[in-house]
Amino acid sequence: MISVKNLYHSYTKDEKFAVDDVSFEIAKGEIFGFLGPSGAGKSTTQGILTGLLPLQRGEVRVAGYDVKHIKRAMFNEIGMSFEQSNVYSKLTGKENLEFYRRLFDVKTREPRELLDLVGLGGKGDIKAGEYSKGMKHRLTFARSMINHPTLWFLDEPTTGLDPAIAAQIKNIIKEQNRKGVTVFLTTHNMFIADELCDRVGFIVDGKLLLVDSPKNLKLQYGEKFVEVEYLKEGGLAKESLSFVGKEDIARLKTILDHYEIQTMHTKEATLEEIFIKVTGRELV
Amino acid sequence: MVKKITAIFLRDMKVSLRDFIALYIIAFPLIFAVVINLFVPGINEATVSIAMLSGDDSAHIDYYRDYAQVEVFETPGEVTRRVAQRDNLVGILPENNDYYILVQGNEPEGLVDYVKTLRAYEYFGVSSADTSVEFVDFGRTIPPMKKLFVNVAIMLGSVLGGMLIALNIVEEKVDNTISAINVSPVSRIGFIIGKSIIGILVPVVGIVIMLIVTGFADVNLIQILMMLLASSIISILVGFIEGINNDDVINAAGNIKILFLPLMGSVAAAEMLADKWQKFFYWIPFYWTYKANDMILSKSGTWGEILIYTAIVIAISALVFAALAPKIRKGLEG
Repeated sequence: MISVKNLYHSYTKDEKFAVDDVSFEIAKGEIFGFLGPSGAGKSTTQGILTGLLPLQRGEVRVAGYDVKHIKRAMFNEIGMSFEQSNVYSKLTGKENLEFYRRLFDVKTREPRELLDLVGLGGKGDIKAGEYSKGMKHRLTFARSMINHPTLWFLDEPTTGLDPAIAAQIKNIIKEQNRKGVTVFLTTHNMFIADELCDRVGFIVDGKLLLVDSPKNLKLQYGEKFVEVEYLKEGGLAKESLSFVGKEDIARLKTILDHYEIQTMHTKEATLEEIFIKVTGRELV
Repeated sequence: MVKKITAIFLRDMKVSLRDFIALYIIAFPLIFAVVINLFVPGINEATVSIAMLSGDDSAHIDYYRDYAQVEVFETPGEVTRRVAQRDNLVGILPENNDYYILVQGNEPEGLVDYVKTLRAYEYFGVSSADTSVEFVDFGRTIPPMKKLFVNVAIMLGSVLGGMLIALNIVEEKVDNTISAINVSPVSRIGFIIGKSIIGILVPVVGIVIMLIVTGFADVNLIQILMMLLASSIISILVGFIEGINNDDVINAAGNIKILFLPLMGSVAAAEMLADKWQKFFYWIPFYWTYKANDMILSKSGTWGEILIYTAIVIAISALVFAALAPKIRKGLEG
């Protein structure tokens, strides 16, 4: 669905690359997470894939179209949900969707249906300028589905949303993916990536450092831990012990034999911890 | 393509009708037409009016009727009261086998001189038959001042069309919606055409209404619309540029006023400057638009002349387009 080969991009048109020799492929029906800290090159890559930025160097094919010679018909196939909500504040939620659907050459979804889907059913006749930040974000998200996209670009789809709404959005993404929609998810939220993505790519300083499934990454880079709380000398003690090191295993046995255990949890390495381990960078 | 362009235009129209500034711009031609009708003197007010006594010699009254609009009254007191009214009217009253001219004192000098001359010619028995002057009457009843204001209003209409475009582009920028348009199947040219329509259609409708209201309904509308479309190019370009360069509606509307300077300068030059200075204004499209509109409104222009003026305006606008198009294209990349 997406093929990127040796992609470079420089805003200064010199050798300072915001995207530096990036290559990856995304199969049809896959959810691909593009993960990295701010300024890593995520949005630049996505901008090139969606035609918002010109392709300077490299080969990029999106939904069967060559991005070098972009055809407007490509946009009938794709949907784009922006990180910063961008809706017409002087139009109502419904009018925003009604207007946008007229720009497509393919069958579109009913605005009311989409508004209901993102929990804005009762707010469709209110001007978007009067919406809260979260409501605008949901309207932007809903708009990205209006043309039944087969390839869906999602830029930080749950940022700024309360947990209940974020869960609703995640469910919609899963549901769309079940219907065969390919998803390109750009985020710095590793929990969402871990939950949703079939594969993730780590990008830092414009370079794509690795691409793999969250499960493989955990197997390859993660260590399993057990966190144990026990009573010691009248107080509560807490230790985090690895399943791998012999010393840690021996220590765990000692604790189990000699102390009263209060709580004990196994803990996998998170995607965020793996990211830090692989890239040496925090996800800020 | 047409469906998408129409959708963009209708969206702009809907939003403009919800915005006070845009609404004012849309209503401007009608407001201006009413103002022109109220404050610019009509043909009757531009005519010399004289008040006389009904008891005067009928030949004496008829003489003045050949050169002025005459109102007759029964008594000198009625004539005096009529002269004292707000409008410019001069009384001619008998006194000691002669006549004297009665004025308020604030009448235009030319009006009083005209009546004095008429009285002198009457005294010496001179009539138009005694001159070698040939009178040619085109039968027009529209005063020149009104024509000038209508002409300026037509050009202002096109500039305000550009202002409407700027306001809508600013709105797109403030709401950051251009990026959403850029990931839809709408082409850049389709978007630009869709955004331009409001800047053409609103002035066209407004100006046709204004022409009807101000009494110019019988002019050649095709010629007027042709000149309007040609002069709209420059307004549309400036509208896009100001929309792209501003993040604030008031600033954009304010900056569009930059067009008022060459517009009013062209009018002043065409009306007041000697021929030798005219060439300094040839680069301004409004100069040619004003001259063409003047011909159309006075029904004195041929199709050939109007087409030449249209071609000049389009040629100048094309140069401006060549200079501004890359900036507009880049500005709409979102």
